[in-house]
Amino acid sequence: MNIDKFNDSIKACRFCFMCRHLSGVGNVTFREADTPRIRAAMLYGVTLDKSKLANADFIETIYSSDLSAACRFHCVNSFDENGMVLAARRDIVEAGLAPADVLEIAKEENSTEAKPKISGSGDVLYYIDPDSAAVASEARAFDKIMKRAGIKYRIAKGGNTGKVLETLGFAADSAKKATEFAEAINKSGAKTLVTPNPAVYDSLINGFNSCGVKLSPKAVHASEFLAQLKIKFSKKAGKVYYLESDFLKNYNSNLKFPRELLCKLGAEVAEFGTNSEESYSCGEGAVAFDKLRPAIVEKMAKYVEARADNPSSDKIIVASPYTKMQLSKHSKLKVCTLTELAADCL
Amino acid sequence: MSLPKDTYMFEMVRTELIDAVGADYVNTGDSDRFGHSIDYYWIPEMWHDRGRETKKPDFVVHPGSAEEVARVLKIANQYKIPVVTWGGGSGSQGGALPVFGGIVLDTKRMNKILKIDEESLTVTAETGIIARHLEWGVNKRGYSTMHLPASIACATIGGFLAHRGTGVLSTKWGKIEDMVMSLEVVTPCGEIINTLPVPRHASGPDLIMMFLGSEGTLGVITKVTLKIHPMPEARKFRAYLFKDFHTAMSAGADLMRSRLRPCAVRLYDETETLTHVKKVFGMDIGTGAYLVFGFDGREKIVDLEMEYAREIMEKKYKGRDLGSKGGDLWWQNKYKFFYPGYMFHIPQAFGTLDTVADFAHIEKVYWAMKKAVNENFPQARFIGHFSHWYEWGCMLYARFIFEGKDVPQDAGEAAELYNRVWDVAIREAIANGGVINEHHGVGLKLGRYMKDLYKNSFPILQSIKKALDPNNIMNPGKMGL
Ligand SMILES: Cc1cc2nc3c(=O)[nH]c(=O)nc-3n(C[C@H](O)[C@H](O)[C@H](O)COP(=O)(O)OP(=O)(O)OC[C@H]3O[C@@H](n4cnc5c(N)ncnc54)[C@H](O)[C@@H]3O)c2cc1C
Ligand code: SF4
Repeated sequence: MNIDKFNDSIKACRFCFMCRHLSGVGNVTFREADTPRIRAAMLYGVTLDKSKLANADFIETIYSSDLSAACRFHCVNSFDENGMVLAARRDIVEAGLAPADVLEIAKEENSTEAKPKISGSGDVLYYIDPDSAAVASEARAFDKIMKRAGIKYRIAKGGNTGKVLETLGFAADSAKKATEFAEAINKSGAKTLVTPNPAVYDSLINGFNSCGVKLSPKAVHASEFLAQLKIKFSKKAGKVYYLESDFLKNYNSNLKFPRELLCKLGAEVAEFGTNSEESYSCGEGAVAFDKLRPAIVEKMAKYVEARADNPSSDKIIVASPYTKMQLSKHSKLKVCTLTELAADCL
Repeated sequence: MSLPKDTYMFEMVRTELIDAVGADYVNTGDSDRFGHSIDYYWIPEMWHDRGRETKKPDFVVHPGSAEEVARVLKIANQYKIPVVTWGGGSGSQGGALPVFGGIVLDTKRMNKILKIDEESLTVTAETGIIARHLEWGVNKRGYSTMHLPASIACATIGGFLAHRGTGVLSTKWGKIEDMVMSLEVVTPCGEIINTLPVPRHASGPDLIMMFLGSEGTLGVITKVTLKIHPMPEARKFRAYLFKDFHTAMSAGADLMRSRLRPCAVRLYDETETLTHVKKVFGMDIGTGAYLVFGFDGREKIVDLEMEYAREIMEKKYKGRDLGSKGGDLWWQNKYKFFYPGYMFHIPQAFGTLDTVADFAHIEKVYWAMKKAVNENFPQARFIGHFSHWYEWGCMLYARFIFEGKDVPQDAGEAAELYNRVWDVAIREAIANGGVINEHHGVGLKLGRYMKDLYKNSFPILQSIKKALDPNNIMNPGKMGL
């Protein structure tokens, strides 16, 4: 079984309480089951008795994890509860046990074209994935900055890196999408691929690597690209609250570039809520969480809103278009992405 | 009374519970019931490890207010269904286990900070809040509860109140019971009551103290007002190595008798000094007994207190000064031990023989327990440190550890071995002037010793229980009640 590779984490996490306070879903459902400890204990039961994998309620719980990886980032020994849940999802899928809602999303993902449509010219390729496309102002903001910088760039639109399929446990389908996506990008000859979406960034860096897919251009998140861009931002961003991205911080330890960019924009970054450890991303790590568990996502957004100093006036900055979408939909917080903030500071 | 899922009574009760707290907050699925069947007690962990079924509740409810708690308790009384209050499930005594099935009342939805009073320096909060979230909340305003236990990340404030818990700064700032101003409690019959608004008065016996340590047997604590304190300007630590445990204990006791006010004192016996100090704090200091202490508050006062304390350690007891670094490493790594990779873990069998005694008895208790464990269970290791210090004595955090190869695979036999260690060690502690225990509570694990401990005053506790909970629905089978 795939979970066998995570035996160490299963055995460590099953009786461990040390990251309970960071259970993004557990903190809004209050369910003990929505914590690393109980998920690991359930999966330990599966290692003893494989038939337990078929328990519909366990399966539902495994698909209710927000996969923020806040636990792994916090853990002094970096036990990988996140990896364990992803492996369990693969086992569920391979055993033909994926529930109807998961199959529905997978079907939709499988039906999309993996190869994006590429237009324009230049070494830089800006990739607008479907999630980022839903926040139209993101691409407009990037375009404004690039025009000011006088840089020509290409745009890739649509396509599918396989991230959603990977997260839901459809490893083979995901690898197929990744291969096709990479083929199209590699053919373009671009040197740098810029993505505004941290989930795509993680897919290109870690997901592709784990299924042996080679991507020729260097993949960077928009914050890294903009932080290094030689351009003057004349307006100061002022006081902002920055909500970390699961994929940038917890998955890739990338705390540096968003902060460098904020510094470049003259932002005074205030701490949001009471701490910098909890994930406030509304389930970014679980990628299609808004489709799979909309009621939980709504609660997560309200949880974030309740932690703002001044919910209706604070300037909240996020790295991820997904998080912006969820917070804008379910709360009165005023949210913009790093790119949008940068464009406003021109 | 346990209510199997396929009975109509199960549906009847479920309907009423949904009416009381809302459909979203009544869970009867396998994951939820399983999630509330294992706490931090070794026996259910081992039971699960061996592939045996753990005892599950029939319903898990998450009330959002004292009124909703009251409704749940009235339903439970009506049908005489056990109710087990569950905070974070981090208790090590099996206190939150639903041993007779019934309803688990999870408090975590009651998680709001209601008020920070900067005039009286108090915070009022619902008790289902995780201690870390409460601490972060008051930190943001420049205060601290000074309640910093190793389970801060997982335990609720209600759990600490119910177990009379403690944190690393207890020596100066007190245990949770020293921090409480007032409580709101829902009694077993569903009455919402409040204690007096201040903790010091001469208006009769103290109701706060009756509910503290009652471990969910006398009702559900739903709200608390706690003292808070400005963040100290300075907090400084220093550590010493003494030639043996006795000398270190004498130095520590002298420090407390001097009436200086350290915020924390820890003493590790020779065995723990060799293992723990090196493995967890990363200090290779050789043999002896490691003692660390600290002071906090205004920097000038801290420095002065430290100067006096150093005199005691160095001049009188000839301790080897490990400097402030030797102390800072302890502070920085104070929770590290509790993470897997450092902490004892199944297949090992281990337990914390938490005992408290005055200085006149504490060493005797240590040696008597050590001897009893070593003689009766030569395959086990016995280690100890002294954690929470008072003007009159301290807490012995003794541990026994069996390596996996020495623990029976059969779950029943393993439980029997485990219980025998407690029988031997705890009876020895009580016989030598120790009290079980200082902050972990009683729960399922130690309930059988309550009569030995309280002797002819135990019936008073039983009468209180009967008066408040005539149907014995609240956490039956715990605390020997
Ligand atoms: C890693 C780790 C480190 C620990 N370190 C410490 C430490 O430093 N200091 C310390 O004191 N303890 C420590 N403990 C033990 C544990 O955290 C405490 O006993 C804590 O008080 C339990 O709180 P909880 O919310 O998890 O309660 P639970 O385990 O859920 O419940 C414990 C008992 O309290 C009752 N209860 C819970 N909430 C309420 C309520 N609102 N009203 C009435 N009854 C209630 C339950 O019925 C049960 O009997 C540690 C535990 C772990 C796992
Ligand atoms: S990830 Fe680390 S801290 Fe979290 S449950 Fe696992 S072992 Fe504990």
